[in-house]
Amino acid sequence: MRLWLGLALLTGPLAAQSVKVRLEGRVPAAAMAIVDSLVQQARQEDLPTEPLVQKALEGGAKHVSAERIVAAVQLRLVQMRDAHALLVRAGHGPPFTAAEVMAVSGTLKRGVAAPVVERLVAALPNESRGSALHAEADLVAHGFDPDSSAGLLVEATRRSLRGGRLLDVSAAVLHEQQRGHTRAEALALVRLQLPNVPPAPKPPKASVAGARRPGASTGAAPQP
Amino acid sequence: MKPIDPRVHQALDGEIAREALPPELALQVARLEAAVAVLGMVVSPGAGADESVEARVMAAIRRPAPSRMWRLARWLAAPHSVTLRIRPAWSLALAAAVALVTLLPAGDETPSIGEQEGIAQFVARFPGANSVHVAGSFNDWRSGTIPLQDPDHDGVWRTAVVLPAGAYEYMFVVDGERWVPDHLADRTVEDDFGRENSVVIVRPATR
Repeated sequence: MRLWLGLALLTGPLAAQSVKVRLEGRVPAAAMAIVDSLVQQARQEDLPTEPLVQKALEGGAKHVSAERIVAAVQLRLVQMRDAHALLVRAGHGPPFTAAEVMAVSGTLKRGVAAPVVERLVAALPNESRGSALHAEADLVAHGFDPDSSAGLLVEATRRSLRGGRLLDVSAAVLHEQQRGHTRAEALALVRLQLPNVPPAPKPPKASVAGARRPGASTGAAPQP
Repeated sequence: MKPIDPRVHQALDGEIAREALPPELALQVARLEAAVAVLGMVVSPGAGADESVEARVMAAIRRPAPSRMWRLARWLAAPHSVTLRIRPAWSLALAAAVALVTLLPAGDETPSIGEQEGIAQFVARFPGANSVHVAGSFNDWRSGTIPLQDPDHDGVWRTAVVLPAGAYEYMFVVDGERWVPDHLADRTVEDDFGRENSVVIVRPATR
């Protein structure tokens, strides 16, 4: 117990310090203190802090004013609170992983209505949620009916498709649409194909051979 | 050591009379004869010496031959002189070849990709640009760390990056200052600064 208390007392200030170090020199000084306090708030609420840090760094890199950076970080915090509340409503108890919260938050931000996201989150197993939400957002962005799209993705999961394979479902639907079918026809055709939707092509060997790793540290990312 | 005068040899062998020798040579002959006499007393052909040598030789002959393993062990333990004859030109060529293999990076170096990692490919057309970089949530939005290449100068810039599986927002940075979204991206999202970021989803390469 003492050990855990000691660790908690030690890691809190260390984490706060590391955020300041990452922001130092890259974010306007006027925004630093407020961004830091927003990050502390997120940490106290068990929300992911990395998206807030990334938003501040993004604003600094794009030479945005301190006021706009603070506003964007505040908005991101609100979005993550909404995502957290949605996960709770969908019947999942906290704690949630950063990937889960960020996936829900990103899907809401891309214009998928909260009830549809909630339905998908409630219906899908944990390992498929991120990919399903991305697939749903892709279809909604292309004008597909949100409920019909969500229904197709739930059906695909019921037919044993998991993880990134759900992105193949949305890709197959968009492919059918490009071939001249209406949106409803495209959804129906892919539903008939399930679970045998074509997999996404693997990257060519030449590009794999030349691939490099980014120098800077990467933040947590929602799993597809 | 002074060489012995041939006449001394001849006198000792009895080929010439000792009286025919000059006095100093005659003295040498006398001394040598005295030394031979002393040696003859020390190593006289008595029974003991010959028997001892004979006994030692016969004992060695009668001793059983050592086994192969024993001989091998003795051979391995014993010092051997090794003579290596190398032409300097060949040794220099060998050293150069070793240096090439160890120091130069392989041309088609393939990165090792983890189970939960994938490849993100970035392609953009910016004719006339001097430099194009990609910055995003995968590199803390640092604009100068991931350059795109246009080796044939056709205005199409590209690169591939190994990333943990996930979704990332990004933009291109042209000539170090112009932030441009990826017009070929399948997904975009508002950046909350009045513009749009592109979104790439990286799937595990080992799927």
